[in-house]
Amino acid sequence: MLEDLKETFLHELKAARSLADTNQLRVKYLGKKGLVTAQLKALSSIAPEERPAYGKEINDLKVFIEQDLEARDSRLKEEELRSRLLAESIDVTLPGKAVSHGREHPLSRTLSDIVDIFVRMGFSVEEGPEVELDYYNFEALNFPLEHPARDMQDTFFVSSEVVLRTHTSPVQVRGMEKRKPPVRFIAPGKVYRCDADITHTPMFHQVEGLMVDRDISFSHLKGVLEAFLHRMFGPDTPVRFRPSFFPFTEPSAEIDIGCILCSGEGCRVCKGSGWLEVLGAGMVHPAVFEHVGYDPEEYSGFAFGMGIERIAMLKYAIDDIRLFYENDTRFLKQF
Amino acid sequence: MRVPFEWLKDFLPLTVSPEAAAQKLTMAGLEVEALERTGEDVIFEVNVTPNRADCLSMVGIARELSAAYGLRLTLPEHDVVAETGELDFNVDILDTALCRRYAGRIVKNLTIGPSPDWMRNRLDKCGIRSINNVVDVTNYVLLELGHPLHAFDLDAIRGHRIRVGTPGMIRGAGAQVTFTTLDGVQRAVPGDALLIWDAEEPIALAGIMGGSATEVNGTTRDIFIESASFDPVSVRKAARTLGVKTESSYRFERGTDIRMLKKALDRAAFLMKKVADGMIYGKIDLYPKKYAPAGIRVRYEKVERVLGLRIPGEEISRSLGALGFTVEERGDAMTVTPPAYRTDVTRDADIMEELARSYGYDRIPAVLPEAVLGEEDRESFRKSTMERIGSALKESFLKSGFTEVINYSFMGVRDLEILGIAADDPRTRAVRIQNPLKVEDSLMRTALLPSLLRNVVHNVAHGTREFRLFETAKVFLDGHPACGGSPGNGRGGELLPDERKRLAAVSFREKTRALYPEDTPDFFVLKGVFEAVLDDLKITDCTFVRSHEPFLHPGQSADILLGGAKVGYIGALSPVVIERLAIKSQKPSLVVIEFDTEALLPFASRDVRYKPLPKYPPIERDTALMVDADLETAAVMSRLREYPSDLIEDTILFDVYQGRNIPEGKKSIAFTIRYRAADRTLRDEEIDSLHSSLVEYIREKTGGEVRS
Ligand SMILES: [Zn+2]
Repeated sequence: MLEDLKETFLHELKAARSLADTNQLRVKYLGKKGLVTAQLKALSSIAPEERPAYGKEINDLKVFIEQDLEARDSRLKEEELRSRLLAESIDVTLPGKAVSHGREHPLSRTLSDIVDIFVRMGFSVEEGPEVELDYYNFEALNFPLEHPARDMQDTFFVSSEVVLRTHTSPVQVRGMEKRKPPVRFIAPGKVYRCDADITHTPMFHQVEGLMVDRDISFSHLKGVLEAFLHRMFGPDTPVRFRPSFFPFTEPSAEIDIGCILCSGEGCRVCKGSGWLEVLGAGMVHPAVFEHVGYDPEEYSGFAFGMGIERIAMLKYAIDDIRLFYENDTRFLKQF
Repeated sequence: MRVPFEWLKDFLPLTVSPEAAAQKLTMAGLEVEALERTGEDVIFEVNVTPNRADCLSMVGIARELSAAYGLRLTLPEHDVVAETGELDFNVDILDTALCRRYAGRIVKNLTIGPSPDWMRNRLDKCGIRSINNVVDVTNYVLLELGHPLHAFDLDAIRGHRIRVGTPGMIRGAGAQVTFTTLDGVQRAVPGDALLIWDAEEPIALAGIMGGSATEVNGTTRDIFIESASFDPVSVRKAARTLGVKTESSYRFERGTDIRMLKKALDRAAFLMKKVADGMIYGKIDLYPKKYAPAGIRVRYEKVERVLGLRIPGEEISRSLGALGFTVEERGDAMTVTPPAYRTDVTRDADIMEELARSYGYDRIPAVLPEAVLGEEDRESFRKSTMERIGSALKESFLKSGFTEVINYSFMGVRDLEILGIAADDPRTRAVRIQNPLKVEDSLMRTALLPSLLRNVVHNVAHGTREFRLFETAKVFLDGHPACGGSPGNGRGGELLPDERKRLAAVSFREKTRALYPEDTPDFFVLKGVFEAVLDDLKITDCTFVRSHEPFLHPGQSADILLGGAKVGYIGALSPVVIERLAIKSQKPSLVVIEFDTEALLPFASRDVRYKPLPKYPPIERDTALMVDADLETAAVMSRLREYPSDLIEDTILFDVYQGRNIPEGKKSIAFTIRYRAADRTLRDEEIDSLHSSLVEYIREKTGGEVRS
């Protein structure tokens, strides 16, 4: 009798295809009016000595049915989930929705690389006006009126006293006017020269630097700028200091690095010399100190300046400076 | 300057290779920018800096090499034997500050003709065209010794007389003088320009160019050679005013060697005898105040302090001696006297450069200075806040897909016209450049938008259909009435314009097919980027009101107000402006924003006060309100936020709808109010009653109706 019941159950369980089917079976066998429940209720009609054994058999069957149903349920749930998820499939080979981040201008990137190096060396950042007084741009930097040194910089004039600054060096003077030594700052910014061809644009960027204190020497100038160049271009980059001229520094130097394109062999970019000029520098001229009221017998210092376009062109192998200002997205997106 | 290597060997027993000599010069501060091989010779292209006028000649370069290699320098032959000492010539210098020495010689019976090959060849290598043997000699001596000379046709000089003076001195103040130079150009001479005159008329622009009337030509037999010293500033001013630049003016501007002057004169006479069979006559030499070099005191301790190294006394004397300086040691200092050709050396710093140069920059050790920390003052605090604003802005725009551009700071009048900016708009107060490269670039920008629109035109023309660009840069407002120039601009600050940092961005999109459509209008994309910046900077007091900018779409633009003051605008570019720009595109969406980034500064906050996380659950209620379509949503939302209740935690707008089921001229605004108490769990009944009075309030304030 119970064996038949079990047989029928197993047969019906096999046919169950959904959770609804197994629930129906659960009601049919284990419900209040279920077949197994009915057997339990009928237990009283059985001889008392056979009751415990038969009762146990019924209970075993109940547990068996419960477990089988549960096992079946969990398999059905898994299957149902699988088929539901399958129905939700997407074509994973389609491209993602473009999250196009904008690109920083290559000059900004280069500029912030440079600024970061100096800031880590303890330099602060100064700013000055771009439309500047002749006094700050030239006179206080020891470029007398009608001096040929002014020919070194083709100047845009606003009036006889006002120019577009031709270099970031006036910030040196303004920075020193504002405070007493020690001073140590850099001044990045836009500068203007009345010149346009494949290697010149009427506006370009420079970073100026200044360090003044007691006992600052040419040795320190070499130390700081060598450290900068090694961080910017790599620790093995050869660096060369050679004498030059700027009205506001004395002694003055130009600083070359070994050509990064030909490793010093000589190429078109370094004009065969194996060297690339990247920095101008020098010890602050006593006349500049006198303009800002520093005593040149007490203080000394060095100043330096570099063109950002030049460094960015070397770094990214760009051969036409005008590309920086065309702002063609096909160019800008490459960085 | 072009320097043939072979020519240098006239003065020095050079045995090194041209490459080695070029390297030596470069490291001594005379950068050899290029080496050019021509036949047997190598020509150096030397970059002579403005301070080294003494190196603008073959002898000058040879002198540097002689010091560097310790070789003996031999000057060219210039001893002349005059055929006769008689010279019935009269020279007057009217201002000895403008002309400190004037010398001359007469050479007669010349045979004018072509120069010998050796001379033509050398002139050619230096890039100077051969004219005739007499003119060539003056040029040859200029290249060789660096001193400019001029040869006059003696017969053309009237009255056997030379006068050196300005038109003002000769003809009286305000005199108008015109003069034809030997290039055939008639020039109006400024009243303070120094001229050479004969008994009647001017015959040369002193130190710049001779006149056509006294030019040496094929028929000349007798000449007067001038060798003089003119004031650099006076020559430069005259040359610049007249727009003339010659080999001669170039050297006089930079300073010439007053002692070399006589050698140059004699060398020229010597060569004229040699190449043109001239007869040399006696000379005139007016030299009222002899050059007396001043000694410069240099303390050894300062040399050590500034250069960062100790150079032994005897090495100092030796290297300065090799450069032609005389050194007198006096205890802890020395007195150094520069040679006459080093007019650039005037103070101890100049001597230190000479020392460093001859010692070798490469031998000076590289040392890192010890750290000195400056003080953090109010200024640097302000700056760091400004830097933070700058980088928050930049980052926000970059992250949102805007690519950074950098434009020239220039614009033209036409740019303002395209935007339809009125004459009384402050943006017309632009700084004007006197000598612009192009008329389109003759003003300093008062707005960034024109440059960005140029970028749009460029990129569309190159086939880019969708892009976002932004720029952060300064604008320049002239004669700003509010500040009368910029405060803190130091002396003469009132002459300078107000420089303000601004940010501008454009978003350009053509209606194109896309795999995943973007349905947010670009106006709101851009506004979202800006609001993200405000959020980063904790700026809350920002409002948007309809804009009247002439270049914006009147229905799709807003002014940005901070604390009630306008700091910028955002909006779709007016179709009229798009047409004026001739952007070749079908129905482009072009949204722009520009604002003053410095104006954000006073509203930005660095202070963050922690708020405890809520302990009790919120209750939310949604309501849809139907109002007149032209009522601005921001007005409704700000009314809601005004409602006085401590239990309102947030008001969130989630839908604005017009169309089906909404009557014409109306729109539906749907919002969620989130209620929460800090100290207890709210009851539904309590919130039901609070929410219905809030709805009643907003209905009344907006004249709207609740949609159910
Ligand atoms: Zn190279």
